[in-house]
Amino acid sequence: MTNENLNELMAALTHDTEEGAPGAPDEELREILADLARRPAPVHSLHRLWTLGELSAQVSLAYLALWLRKWFSGADARKRHVLETNLRVALKLFHRLAYLRGAMTKLGQAAGHLPDLVPAEIAETLDRLHFDAPPMHYSLISAVVANEFGRDPEDLFARFEKEPFAAASLGQVHRARLRSGEEVAVKIQYPGIARTIDADFRNLAALLFPLRLGGDWEYVKAQFEEVRRMLGQELDYRQEAQSQRQARDLFTPEDGIVVPAVYADYSGARVLTTEYLPGRHLSGFLAGNPPPELRDRFGALLYRAYFRMYYGYMNYADPNPGNYLFLDDGRMGILDFGCIQHYGDVEREIVRVSDRVLREDETAAAELERLSSGISADDPDIERYRPLFEQFRQWLMEPMRCGGAFDFGDEDHMRRGFDYFRGVIRKRTMRGHPTYVYFSRCVFGLKAMLYRLRARVDVKSIQREESAIWQRRTGQN
Amino acid sequence: MRITQEAKAATAERILDSAARLFQASGWEATTTREIAAAAGIAAGTLFNYFPSKEAIAARLISVALEEAEQEFESRPAGDASPEEDLFRFIWTGFKHLRRYRNFLAPAAEIVFSPLARSSPDRSGDAIRVRHLEMVGRVLAAHGGTGALRAVAMQLYWTLYLGVLAYWAADASPWQEDTLALLDHSLKLFLASLDRKEENHDQRKSE
Repeated sequence: MTNENLNELMAALTHDTEEGAPGAPDEELREILADLARRPAPVHSLHRLWTLGELSAQVSLAYLALWLRKWFSGADARKRHVLETNLRVALKLFHRLAYLRGAMTKLGQAAGHLPDLVPAEIAETLDRLHFDAPPMHYSLISAVVANEFGRDPEDLFARFEKEPFAAASLGQVHRARLRSGEEVAVKIQYPGIARTIDADFRNLAALLFPLRLGGDWEYVKAQFEEVRRMLGQELDYRQEAQSQRQARDLFTPEDGIVVPAVYADYSGARVLTTEYLPGRHLSGFLAGNPPPELRDRFGALLYRAYFRMYYGYMNYADPNPGNYLFLDDGRMGILDFGCIQHYGDVEREIVRVSDRVLREDETAAAELERLSSGISADDPDIERYRPLFEQFRQWLMEPMRCGGAFDFGDEDHMRRGFDYFRGVIRKRTMRGHPTYVYFSRCVFGLKAMLYRLRARVDVKSIQREESAIWQRRTGQN
Repeated sequence: MRITQEAKAATAERILDSAARLFQASGWEATTTREIAAAAGIAAGTLFNYFPSKEAIAARLISVALEEAEQEFESRPAGDASPEEDLFRFIWTGFKHLRRYRNFLAPAAEIVFSPLARSSPDRSGDAIRVRHLEMVGRVLAAHGGTGALRAVAMQLYWTLYLGVLAYWAADASPWQEDTLALLDHSLKLFLASLDRKEENHDQRKSE
């Protein structure tokens, strides 16, 4: 992560003076974020762990801090002192959790969607959560592999590198070669952590949901459940393998987008073996000062991959830089399919209606509003929500309406996105179909990547092409 | 009639096999020495010429499994592994060899390795402990440690080891993966305590 991003984020978040928030927690947040940016990875070979510092995780963190800060306004001095302490505890907690990008982002998300809870309870409860996946040495790796396959890695593979080359959420990735000669990446999960996190989330839910706080509580609950469900899916590598195969089938060699093949015989619940792709991550790619055309090309590939999966009824909900590879031959690789939202009937209907909205069919806008919020047009509450939906929709549509290539390096566009999220937090409007938790995460992650790429992309053309492919495939019109 | 050493060894072997089968099938508590003797085809009294108690039979089963594990552990070159990695592999190899006894290991080990008893029946538990700790000492020595562990360090190690063993015996998680995590944490704790002790020691010397 760069301090540029950090400053960008802080600039976007902290001119929120109307809250009358005291300065101290602000400074603390700034300090902690700055520290995160500076701090070296705990294990030198695990640099990817620091994809944590990337924007999406920071958004979660800042989002949470902002939400907590709500509690400062209007409180008397004594109470404010207590609240400040709580905020500090929560921030420290998140600081510690920072070793785990995946879980941390999700936790931030979950917490950010719980609007009406006293911070003491949250801080206390979160403190009991421990997403702690220390690095694994080879003896441990070997035991995990032997558990699943009955053989040690050196017997199972022709070659197995004992040192990991990347960190994964809740585990690490090793290079290896199959006996049949293929180069592979073997992702291994820290033993037992999946069940620990699942249990922690269940406990958290059990603590929170007997309460009923605020009118939007049912929505909060549904959204929390969605986060929990998605997390459970991410923890089981068998489901990830399934999603990855499904995604791989969506692309052809002409697309220039590669989803690595899964090797089923070498994959299980805690071990996932996939084709090894040589390539650079975003920061490595940018360090080589790529020409604008190349950045634009990858920007277009990012959007094409997004739309292809979206119209394939799977939302790639974790578009962080650690999950994309920039290949020297100009192709883009997509890794990590743990966080895929598979669309059911309601979401597919949303895709259909959204497609009409994207084609500027204004009659579809109201229907989309109803579908995505669950609020009917004659509900008085709609007035509270309409401006926000409208703001989000306009923001989403901006790149499509510019009549050509949209410049994602535009800071103003990013800032308006932040403004929208601040609005959601300020108004505590938590209604929305649960699918939007991950939809907004996806959109935000994608735009943060494009912003760093400073890519110019003709989103409209890509969307049209992808929509056409979808229509042919499903017989929509 | 003189019984040859060979015949004696074969009988002992039969007793151990029968006992292991019965412990597995009927459980530790329900199995009696009389049943073991019957299954081994010897008179009840004869069994005691070989093993003084049921616990002694269990201790022998455990020690044989651990000796096999030790051989497997030593057959692999250590390479550039860390002490933590080597100790982990040593212990986990032991568990792998004990796996077939897992369902009766807890009650048996409770008696064989009782930390509260001055010594286990016929001291076979002591012998296993001493042998195990010697190996730990050798592993640490191979990594530049002092070889012999100090008494407190040994006690800490053994306490952790028994704790992990007891946990593993009852671990219901898939593939006993929770034990893997516990062992990982326990070894970190043990090695951290060694480091600290040596640091303090050095500090005192330099003062």
